[in-house]
Amino acid sequence: MLALLIQDPAKINYIEKPAPRPEVDAFGQLEKLASTFHDVDGLFYFTYAVCIFFFVLITGVLVFSCVKYRRKTFDQPPASNTTHNTPLEVVWTVIPLIIVMVMFAWGFAGSIDMTTVPYEASRNAYKASAKQWNWTFSYPNDAAKSYNEVWMRVGKPAQFTLESSDVLHAFYVPAMRVKRDIIPGRFQTVWFTPTDIGEYHLFCAEYCGENHSTMYARVHVVSEADYLKRPWDLWEDDTPEKAVKSAASLYSSLCSTCHSINGAVGVGPTWKGLFVKGPDGKITGKQRDVLVKGEKQTITVDDAYIMESVRSPDAKRAAEFPNGGMAVFPPDQLDDRRLKGIIEFMKSLAEK
Amino acid sequence: MTTNVPVIDSHHGTPATGKPNFLNCSSGLMSWAGTLDHKRIGVMYLVGTMIAFLCGGLFALLVRLHLWEPHGMLFSNADYNQIFTLHGAFMVFLFVIPAIPGSLGNMVLPLMLGAKDVALPRLNLLSFYLWLTGAILATLAIVLGGFDTGWTFYAPYSLYTNKAVVTIGLAIFVLGFSSIFTGLNFIVTVHKLRAPGLTWFRMPLFVWALYATSLLQVLATPVLGITVLLVAFERLYHIGIFDPRLGGDPVLFEHFFWFYSHPAVYIMVLPAFGIISELVSVHSRKPLFGYKLIAFSSIAIAIISFLVWGHHMFTSGQSTYAMFAFSFLTFFVAIPTAIKEFSWVATVWKGSIALNSPMLYTIAFLIIFAIGGLTGVILGALNVDIHLHDTYFVVAHFHYVMMGSIALAFFAGLHHWWPKMFGVMYDETLAKIACGIIFVGFNLTFLPQFIMGSRGMPRRYATYVPDFEAYHRASTIGAMVLGSGVALMVFYLVASLLSGKKAMQNQWGGVTLDWHTPTPPPLENFDHPPSVTTEVYDYSTLDLRTTQTPVS
Amino acid sequence: MSHDGHHSVVIPAPGPEFLPHTVAHHFDTPVQEFQAAKLGFWLFLATEILLFGGLFAAYFYYHEAYPETFRLGGHQLDWKLGALNTSVLLLSSWTMAMGVRSAQTSQKKKLLVYCGLTVLGAAIFMVVKFFEYKAKYDHGLFVFPEMFHGYDTATGQLPWFKDYHGVMAGVPHGHLFFAIYVTMTAIHGLHVLIGAGLILWVMKGAAKGRFHAGYFLPVDLVGLYWHLVDLIWIFLFPLLYLVP
Repeated sequence: MLALLIQDPAKINYIEKPAPRPEVDAFGQLEKLASTFHDVDGLFYFTYAVCIFFFVLITGVLVFSCVKYRRKTFDQPPASNTTHNTPLEVVWTVIPLIIVMVMFAWGFAGSIDMTTVPYEASRNAYKASAKQWNWTFSYPNDAAKSYNEVWMRVGKPAQFTLESSDVLHAFYVPAMRVKRDIIPGRFQTVWFTPTDIGEYHLFCAEYCGENHSTMYARVHVVSEADYLKRPWDLWEDDTPEKAVKSAASLYSSLCSTCHSINGAVGVGPTWKGLFVKGPDGKITGKQRDVLVKGEKQTITVDDAYIMESVRSPDAKRAAEFPNGGMAVFPPDQLDDRRLKGIIEFMKSLAEK
Repeated sequence: MTTNVPVIDSHHGTPATGKPNFLNCSSGLMSWAGTLDHKRIGVMYLVGTMIAFLCGGLFALLVRLHLWEPHGMLFSNADYNQIFTLHGAFMVFLFVIPAIPGSLGNMVLPLMLGAKDVALPRLNLLSFYLWLTGAILATLAIVLGGFDTGWTFYAPYSLYTNKAVVTIGLAIFVLGFSSIFTGLNFIVTVHKLRAPGLTWFRMPLFVWALYATSLLQVLATPVLGITVLLVAFERLYHIGIFDPRLGGDPVLFEHFFWFYSHPAVYIMVLPAFGIISELVSVHSRKPLFGYKLIAFSSIAIAIISFLVWGHHMFTSGQSTYAMFAFSFLTFFVAIPTAIKEFSWVATVWKGSIALNSPMLYTIAFLIIFAIGGLTGVILGALNVDIHLHDTYFVVAHFHYVMMGSIALAFFAGLHHWWPKMFGVMYDETLAKIACGIIFVGFNLTFLPQFIMGSRGMPRRYATYVPDFEAYHRASTIGAMVLGSGVALMVFYLVASLLSGKKAMQNQWGGVTLDWHTPTPPPLENFDHPPSVTTEVYDYSTLDLRTTQTPVS
Repeated sequence: MSHDGHHSVVIPAPGPEFLPHTVAHHFDTPVQEFQAAKLGFWLFLATEILLFGGLFAAYFYYHEAYPETFRLGGHQLDWKLGALNTSVLLLSSWTMAMGVRSAQTSQKKKLLVYCGLTVLGAAIFMVVKFFEYKAKYDHGLFVFPEMFHGYDTATGQLPWFKDYHGVMAGVPHGHLFFAIYVTMTAIHGLHVLIGAGLILWVMKGAAKGRFHAGYFLPVDLVGLYWHLVDLIWIFLFPLLYLVP
């Protein structure tokens, strides 16, 4: 440990492609609300105001006393020896009690709103699959999927069914004020109505291991017209060049958290040098050592090997990564067309 | 075990000065390593927990330095995760939980009760050695590959990661028993070894606070013990209790963990409340305002704290009924806490306030704890918590409580009882400067974290979106200031042991029994068996000459 | 106890075959010492109960989640052997109580005999337990040496749970019952062994004549510990062997 490795900044997609900086709301404390959960902000500022009042009161009395009743000679007696004052004590017990009960009721009512999925939202149901360390989104009535980016219609309530195939994660969109833990083996849901067109951060808010902080997705809230263009399904593979271009963008949103293309050591093996270009321009797979059930073997990289590594990564583990740990991508999350595109992209990296 | 403790003549009414005290009555490594004296054990705890605090602080500075750049400046993500986990685990298990009861509690509790020692001195030494074993195991875990689970060890990540989780789990199990035995010992001591006339409502509030803490230690820690044991079993044998792949439920782990770890928050903070209650009274030379209400509020907090663990899990999809109950009780626990804060301020009001270094640390505590406590109220509201849960707002809130309040109260108590323990005074000017630096550095570190947290910066992030860069940088600068303040404090405290001025017999003018013994106290604490005839904090009985007589 | 010879209280021995007891230096009276130790020990027993409380909570949680698994699992245990062990422990609690009584009445020989009988009870309990474990081992319900192996994350196949005869086939997560059964009974068994060790230690002191009507505190405390071990088993037996 303590390898003092400098992170390669290009690998983190929110730094590579920063989202527009979110606006701050009128009071300057919270990010501008982009959903209909006004109660969160209302109660936040109410509580905030109460806190400032009591803070000023406490600090004021304290500082005033320290100045006024400062001990000047070593035997100075106190100005008063009062040990209690029952009416005062009742007042400062009952008034805070009333205030916190208001906060409790307000917060509880607000949370009921946030956990009760309205019918309209349940008719507009997305699925968010979380795994170390990326997001896969499925759309309502649409077979296509998107990775680490999701598009939503403005003004339309939406529900997300959340599932995890490995450890705990949490679905957190600060601008929408929603957060929900994702627990393997359980289905969780969250809903909200995006009210403003724009791009928003979606964070994983529950610690999930090494690249927890790069498990990031972007929420695009778009108009109805833009939504109908199905921007999540822009995939062209008519020609190998187009396939490589589409796959390069898929690589940067999906694979780059673990696999570098410049030879840097990541969570998984780099893609650099998987294929080599011969003097005749022919691209061939390189030899590499893999572990099959712990036994070392040498194989030649080819399409079938890459396919197997994506569909069942533990069948042949790269020898430098004996612990494995790559997430499985079954066909319903990454179809064969896209996987072939990815392989084309890998081949396009080949050097002489 | 035999001890190398010589017999001390404490029969005759000779003045205490010039007689052997607990520090110089015997010497040699074994006279410390095998001691049964509560004061020496307290000193050993003090040294141990301070070293743990400095290690934890070093990890914190590394974390803050790393976050200077959005893509991280120093470490790989994997290494960063280990560093923040080490920071949390060292601070919580090796410093915050044992520090005040282990060092100041051990030192002062028997003195305040007029007892010769704690009720079970051998068990007390065992507690310390269990702490030491836990500290060694925790260090061993770093050598064996570290651990990257966060101090909360949430399943299933803690079950799958290929790090030394079993070793650190064992360390926590052992540390848990250290904590249990300290608590058990204090409860028995308070029940059985009070001096004649020292009724329950004449006990100093530090004793009340330690008593409430001890109840929590005894009743909550075993659940943590079985939880880490089950995690270890799960990793070694795959029994399936927490592993969702084997039919287990990771949420059960969260319930188990917080059933301990929420009361643990009060295990940490109640002793701090106790110290502050003592100090505001002594340094204002005024009876504590609302003594009984403060004593009862400690017990009330101890009881309610067992029933609020679910507020750490508001986003995990609990039933509406559970959310209702946990949120309600969370707000309820705010009331006894508020009562304490108001009572302390009312004690200062119209007092005779000595602005010496322990009091400055106390005032810093009162201001910081007001922020820490009040932001806790913000987090108690269900819908607001959904937004703020697991963000830097939570990080800032609990640092205001754990570092800003508990550690500052610990420092306040340390400065208060330092002359009592060692018979020397540190440099007051440096102490006041250090207190100021710590106060400013602390707020500069954590106020920006409230802002970025409320804007959505999640915690435990090795890298972050560039939107938050300015806040992270301010926070990092604050951490450096805070670190230099702590370094200065350690410097002048150590320097005072080497070349400090003699302290006064009763440096601050306290009237509880701990100020009725010679300074530093002799081996069995009191020259004559003490008895109590006056109410607690009755400063009319104070002999002001003792505050002007140096120890010889 | 050489330190501080000034005001230590000494309890005289009731007879030549007994030893006097010196009260620890920081206590004023023997009563204070006795009460302090006893209060501390009761608190310690409370922590033991809470430790098992976690296991019981896990038991109830998964019993609720997988009732069929627990019903079927409970049928695999031999309730007759469980009942035999329950009787053995109950009897040993009685002999331990008689041992404490003998110490209080300064009957050295009887104390040794009753403590010996209690240790015998513990030994019988552990032997029966061994045969029960062995039967589970033979049926592949937990295969101990393979517990340290990892499991296949793809299939979820556990190396320690083979279930040769397919008795748990058809219920979800059949291993969970046996995981909880083994965890609970193994931790309890460890307590039985610790208890037996403590009783042997008491016997050693008793042989020297340390315990008599004036001083029987360690016998009393070890007795309490033994009753706790018994009590926990009384809860374990119906929960595991007689699952409703």
